[in-house]
Amino acid sequence: MKYDIIIIGGGLSGLTAGIALANAGKRVCIVSAGQSSLHFHSGSFDLLGYDARGEVVEHPLDAVGQLGPEHPYSRLGKSGVQRLAAEAKRLFNRAGISVSGDAIANHYRLSPVGAMKPAWLTIGGFVHSSSGTSLPWKRAEILNIQGFLDFPTQFLAASLKALGVDCQVKSFTTDELSRARKSPTEMRATNIAKVLVDKDSLRKVADRINAISGNADVLLLPAVLGFSDGQSLDDLKAWVKRPVQYVATLPPSVSGVRTAVLLKRLFAQLGGTMLVGDVANGGQFKDGRLVSITTEHLPDEVLYADEFILASGSFMSHGLKSNYEGVFEPVFGLDVDASGNRGDWTRESLFDAQPYMEYGVHTDEAFRTFKNGNTIDNLYAVGSVLSGHNSIRQADGTGVSLLTAFG
Amino acid sequence: MDRNISKCYDVIVVGGGITGAGTARDCAMRGLSVLLVEKFDFTNGATGRNHGLLHSGARYAVTDSESASECIRENMILRKIARHCVEETDGLFITLPEDDISFQGTFVEACRRAGIRADIISPEEARRIEPSVNPSLIGAVRVPDASVDPFHLTTANILDARAHGADVLSYHEVVGILQENGRVGGVRVRNNHNGEESEMRARLVINAAGIWGHSIARMAGVTVNMFPAKGTLLVFGHRVNNMVINRCRKPANADILVPDDAVCVIGTTSDRVGYDTVDNLEITPGEVDILIKEGEKLAPALASTRILRAYAGVRPLVAADNDPSGRSISRGIVCLDHESRDGLAGLITITGGKMMTYRLMAEMATDLACKKLGVSKPCRTATAPLPGTGGTDGDRPGKFYSTAHNAARGRQGNRVREIEEQRAEDRALVCECEEVSVGEVKYAISQLHVHDLVNLRRRTRVGMGTCQGELCACRAAGVMCETGKEAREALADLGSFLNERWKGMRPVAWGSTLDESQLTATIYGGLCGVDRLAVDD
Repeated sequence: MKYDIIIIGGGLSGLTAGIALANAGKRVCIVSAGQSSLHFHSGSFDLLGYDARGEVVEHPLDAVGQLGPEHPYSRLGKSGVQRLAAEAKRLFNRAGISVSGDAIANHYRLSPVGAMKPAWLTIGGFVHSSSGTSLPWKRAEILNIQGFLDFPTQFLAASLKALGVDCQVKSFTTDELSRARKSPTEMRATNIAKVLVDKDSLRKVADRINAISGNADVLLLPAVLGFSDGQSLDDLKAWVKRPVQYVATLPPSVSGVRTAVLLKRLFAQLGGTMLVGDVANGGQFKDGRLVSITTEHLPDEVLYADEFILASGSFMSHGLKSNYEGVFEPVFGLDVDASGNRGDWTRESLFDAQPYMEYGVHTDEAFRTFKNGNTIDNLYAVGSVLSGHNSIRQADGTGVSLLTAFG
Repeated sequence: MDRNISKCYDVIVVGGGITGAGTARDCAMRGLSVLLVEKFDFTNGATGRNHGLLHSGARYAVTDSESASECIRENMILRKIARHCVEETDGLFITLPEDDISFQGTFVEACRRAGIRADIISPEEARRIEPSVNPSLIGAVRVPDASVDPFHLTTANILDARAHGADVLSYHEVVGILQENGRVGGVRVRNNHNGEESEMRARLVINAAGIWGHSIARMAGVTVNMFPAKGTLLVFGHRVNNMVINRCRKPANADILVPDDAVCVIGTTSDRVGYDTVDNLEITPGEVDILIKEGEKLAPALASTRILRAYAGVRPLVAADNDPSGRSISRGIVCLDHESRDGLAGLITITGGKMMTYRLMAEMATDLACKKLGVSKPCRTATAPLPGTGGTDGDRPGKFYSTAHNAARGRQGNRVREIEEQRAEDRALVCECEEVSVGEVKYAISQLHVHDLVNLRRRTRVGMGTCQGELCACRAAGVMCETGKEAREALADLGSFLNERWKGMRPVAWGSTLDESQLTATIYGGLCGVDRLAVDD
């Protein structure tokens, strides 16, 4: 098979790149292993949330200039970041993912345990606030589904109280949800979302909520609705008498899965091809170019393309691997930016800036990769597989994924 | 927690490891009034940081026949009284091509002298019964080694001590020894949760504080010459072997591989360390390297098995009184009567020995205590089953039970019937790796002295599985809030628990363990911002 472009990795970055290129009329194929870091999504996308010292960034575009030269944004420049951020927002809207926020100023999202974290775009219906130290309500009710452990209501309530919001915690169930609970492993966010895809089941949830909720300014619900589109979120909002807002749960993230579904749908509409559940396992190089790749499930098939994009993610997505001796890029053996000394990889506290988080594939100004010190002219890297940024410390992961993907 | 301040106990036992727990149980069963004090959590010291090996004694047969005989006797006793903590795996002593096969004869002869069944089997037979064993072995001996869970064993002893009237205080640290007229009359303790100090009186104090017994003795003005020996171990992500695998040679570094529940453990190194390091042991890359290298010789599959974490403990080795330099260190049991030894009445030190000879150590200390207190009741701990093994089996044969129920049964034994599992809420799983239900977590909180997530892990295995606490930590913290813990405190505890897990993962942070760490940091740092909330405090 011959494509214009083959993308390795079907997460946020790979899908974004795929959509942009398919939209430009290219024949694109994405090789996707399946799960991606979208399964740990918060309901918001971040561009740049914290600076190098860990201080909150209020104006991400202004802070781009302060990043070190190794950061992917530094190669895009402030104007590049601004332009691509706007493009990413348009892409979301086109895919049917309604988001609010902009790159000029961060707003704040409410984390599953009640922390206020800076964010760039937040999906419609989720809690967001223009201030990191206050919320726009006096009284809130947190409503959880009985037996759902991945929504730590006590932590949320304590945080809301600290932010000056009077808060009550209640729980409810319906026959359908109780049935799901019979199996102790069924009470996960995505499983609940599947149960509530059914309109009648959702209607009963709305009825229960109306029966137990008082007259708080807002009802906060776990974000367990809308597996493949946003319809059920809108339905519930319409049926419940009090204003409803959603708070992210512990993984798996329903909003993340939905984002992936909607982006895949758009990619398919634009004529893109997706090899799902398959993994690229090697490539054939000639004269400083990647000619073709092979995959695990199609051992006899060689996939050719003019250009290739590596969007395979960081360690947790297996775009990077490590062993006793070092860090490596597993598909092509590309050059990586990483210390060869294992002792340098980590720091004592889990939440410190861990050096390994910044490890990744070495690229040039145009995000072209290297192998044995030589540029691969037609193999680009995008997203979390890139070196030079720490998506957890700086809250720039989704931004890097989206923006470099347009490059 | 300062109840009974005015009460004078017969005995105060210092140290909540297995020796202290066993001693408290023995004393209580003989009708003494007992207080057990532990400065942090039970099993926090060497008890919770060893192989979990129920030695047959074979390892010591050639070099220390007394220890070997003690081991095999205690081995057979624990199989009966603590059945729910023991897994009868048997063990192999293998000879590799680089080893001297003639040692095998000496070894088997010594085992038999010590009363340890030791059967020479062919390499083919060894490969058949233990497929993970190094296939190039040239000899094998089968012995009655087994695997034992020191956490549950300690818990069971504490529960039985309590059932026989003992008072038990964790997070109470001895900061002084009360003395009157040349005899010890109690201890001064500090509550390590709130810093409050109080005095506890007793006719006798038994120092069972492991390596920390060194400073307890010093507080009383006597000297026990202890030499801390650090042992480092590695936990592998799944159970590669079903039998304990040892090398058939004189004891050396990293030559025991023990299956423990769903994982296996290789160890240990042995290095003398400074006394000032015992509260914060560092694991070096050199130790990790040697454990991996030697482990692969026992079971080559370890080379491709994920390493979950590394941990280290300190053996409380004691130098003979006539050898202050510590050259002739004994690994045997040391029971010191400070009255006859140092002229200080009211203080006994029980130390040395091994985790699995704790019962014998407790018996020796309690015999001495009874003699001093004029009590003549005989020791019954060798025959009375521990809670979990004793009690009635509530499960009906043929009835279907959930996997979480069966997993809890493996941990808590017959006490599983005390776990609430009628309501769906209580059946929900907190930890999927180890199948721990909300009901079991609540049981542990209410019955097993659980104050924080690390305590909970030791009682229930929450967060011990392959994910090392990825989601279960937050769920368990949530359940702790429901049972009355303040939310801010529970969040801070969650942060400490994750860091405690990281401490063990960091020395082996490559491959899947590094991937998993990034995932944990993504969930708790990136998604949740647990670190940010801690900063706000």
